[in-house]
Amino acid sequence: MNQSEMSRAKRHLDTTRKMKEMLPRFFMRQMERRFSSNEPLAWCMVGVPPELLKAFDLLFEWPENFGTMCASRLVAPHFIEVAEGDGYSPELCSYVTNTMGYCKLTKDKGEPPEESPLPGGMGTPSMLLGSGFICEPRWKWFQSIATRFFNVPVYSSDPLAPPWDIDPRDPRVEDHYLTLLREDLAGQIDFMEKQTGKKLDLDLLRETLALSHKALGYWRDTLALRKAVPCPMSSTDYFHSIIPQMYLVGDQEAVDFYKEMYEEVKDRVARKVGVTEEEKYRLIWFGLPPWFNMGIFNYLESKGAVVAYESTYNVGDFFEVDLSDPLEAIVRRTWQRAVKMHDYGAETMPELCNPAVFGGFSGSSLLNELVEEYSLNGALMHLTRSCRAVSFGEVHTKNRLAQLGIPSLIFESDMADPRLWSDAQIKNRLHAFLETMDKAAGGDKLNDS
Amino acid sequence: MTVNKYNITHTNNAALESEERIKKIKKESGKPVIGYLCCFAPPEIISAAGAIPFRITGRAGEDNSAADAYVEPYGCTYVRNILARAVKGELEYLDGLVISHSCDMVQRLYGIWTYYHTLPYSYMFNVPHQLSRWAQDFFKRELGFFQESLENFTGKKITSEVLKGTLATYNHNRALVRDLYKLRKKPALAIEGSEMLNLLIKGGSLPPEDFTVLLEEKRKEIKRRAPKTEKARRIMVWGSIMDDPTLLLMIEEAGGQVVADDTCIGFRVWEKDVPVTENLYEGLTEHYFVNFQCPRTDRGPGVERFNYLLQRAREYNVDGVIGYCISFCDPHKFDYPDLRDYLKKEGLPLLLIDDNYSFEPKGSIKTRLQAFLEIL
Ligand code: SF4
Ligand code: SF4
Repeated sequence: MNQSEMSRAKRHLDTTRKMKEMLPRFFMRQMERRFSSNEPLAWCMVGVPPELLKAFDLLFEWPENFGTMCASRLVAPHFIEVAEGDGYSPELCSYVTNTMGYCKLTKDKGEPPEESPLPGGMGTPSMLLGSGFICEPRWKWFQSIATRFFNVPVYSSDPLAPPWDIDPRDPRVEDHYLTLLREDLAGQIDFMEKQTGKKLDLDLLRETLALSHKALGYWRDTLALRKAVPCPMSSTDYFHSIIPQMYLVGDQEAVDFYKEMYEEVKDRVARKVGVTEEEKYRLIWFGLPPWFNMGIFNYLESKGAVVAYESTYNVGDFFEVDLSDPLEAIVRRTWQRAVKMHDYGAETMPELCNPAVFGGFSGSSLLNELVEEYSLNGALMHLTRSCRAVSFGEVHTKNRLAQLGIPSLIFESDMADPRLWSDAQIKNRLHAFLETMDKAAGGDKLNDS
Repeated sequence: MTVNKYNITHTNNAALESEERIKKIKKESGKPVIGYLCCFAPPEIISAAGAIPFRITGRAGEDNSAADAYVEPYGCTYVRNILARAVKGELEYLDGLVISHSCDMVQRLYGIWTYYHTLPYSYMFNVPHQLSRWAQDFFKRELGFFQESLENFTGKKITSEVLKGTLATYNHNRALVRDLYKLRKKPALAIEGSEMLNLLIKGGSLPPEDFTVLLEEKRKEIKRRAPKTEKARRIMVWGSIMDDPTLLLMIEEAGGQVVADDTCIGFRVWEKDVPVTENLYEGLTEHYFVNFQCPRTDRGPGVERFNYLLQRAREYNVDGVIGYCISFCDPHKFDYPDLRDYLKKEGLPLLLIDDNYSFEPKGSIKTRLQAFLEIL
């Protein structure tokens, strides 16, 4: 792999640029707390409602997000190779193999490897909070960590949603699923109470949810502003802006962040400031981004192509729920989102039921709306070899978009493993795709490059 | 009673033969044929509803490109193979389709398949991954929804008497299969692994009462046989679905004897009876969910989750384990390092064969098998 091919992303918003100071501050706070006390530390998976962590005032890390950091610092291949040496197949989710390699090095050396992008690494977990909300690897990930590296208790939550051809509004079906969601959440809380020795503070959870939902509301509204032409906000801003909702959830700091972002984007819309000088193509992005090469979005922008909507880490339609019973609020939030996805056609992801604040997108009939509202004229689909869970359905979506006259390009690589990135080839394909879009539109806009 | 009324032969083309036969059975019986993948949705309920459950098999090594217009190239090659077969119209005899949420690939196959091709009946049986009390309750409720959907389709109510009767027939078959497996515990081999697998593949494609006839016939035939007495390495196979005996034949050719297995279609399905409990769903949940040893179900951390496997290896006096992983099979590939280390500690070597559901290139697989058998 030629590392010089990979480029860091240029962000367009002042707000997201500011994260570069905000997040290290957060990580320092976490680390100080970790070193100055013997508090329990949970490693968590997306799918765990982050509000719960806050309500337990629990120290936490997100190995998935750690994977994205390792990817963007280009240390993931090192960790992944260690895991491969241990017998993990290169086909397996690179977030998982990245963690496995990291854990093995940590265990072998008795301390986190110095290549770790976080100061002091992720810390030694005292519990693992998993969530099987979207894929199989999640079920094996924490199981193996606790088997091989850290012998700590695991709770994996198990939210399920009705398959695409079952009516979620049938009261019996609704009851069937809601019963599971409620009991699973209760099981998760019971586990957390045992592990932390604390009782869940429902008032704090309610407050946290209120703040979290406030932040989500701003975020949803910000994303809707991207319907404007020219598009005021880029994918590099989008993908980085998910992070405060993971780490700073329930903090006023997060609300302020999303509010500021909303205002900045709104102002850009009013002033007609776009991401690119001349916006020739408006795209929708499917799949996880290549975290090691987020500069690819800037490359597209240099060709006049801007991504106005992303299918992953999507906050989706955000629902206000009654917070008087905060546990029921989490269940309802989860369920309402599942039903909404279902309404839009969940044939490619029948199991998607996500108690977290953001997640995947499914819904082939939502495409019509998106194309219209976001004035989209093309789609890019990142087929991540090691994450089939998120890229599954791209061919189907491509078929559906073709019916709407929207061309799409599926290109292959990975979210965390840069060894699967072939820079020249991918850029050629992207470039050729934009050219085809021109031809389809009857113009020839790319002859300058 | 006619013995073996469909003249089932004992060739190695079990899957091919099964398909020709099922069309005939369907015509003669007038019953709908319901195809299924994975064993979480009990075929007993399909039988009790007056339909014929049929375990869909792939065609290992055949071209899967017909699937490319609908799904990505990265994905379990077995599942892609089945979709390709459906696209080519090779599964048109199916009146229905039942897919359980076992692994990611199969449950997503369900959505794509039923979106592009509506069948008269289809059902996705949702299965939790946890084994908590509430997950088991969910499974029980799901059994109810499944039964109801079948009743609506066939128009036949499934009384608990009927279901009990069906369970008895299936359990009888389980006992017969276990008898055959028992023979394999002895040093002198009465039935080869490939022959056993072929028999089970046939079983997945026959109405249960016909399978009984086949099993009884086999038992008689085996009694007349002189068991193989030459010394061979005793092997257990573990891993992804095996609906084709090719690998077992290769092991046998290389001088090994496959005496035990832990694969789907293999012993996993036959190991225990379905307990006949007062509320029949209790027993079905225990059998098809709690005790069903598929690595997609979370049994918590720690190597104790493999104890059953070690116990089996001991019972069958196994010298080594051959793992079989189909490309992109997450549940098995994730378990491999933990299992390898666990078996190693217990003195049992494990050889992993990674395959894209083609058993190719045969030469190099053979060489690896031979080398492995030699070190045992
Ligand atoms: S969704 Fe994809 S990236 Fe996330 S854990 Fe599952 S396989 Fe890995
Ligand atoms: S072989 Fe593995 S990935 Fe394929 S269907 Fe079976 S369990 Fe799923």
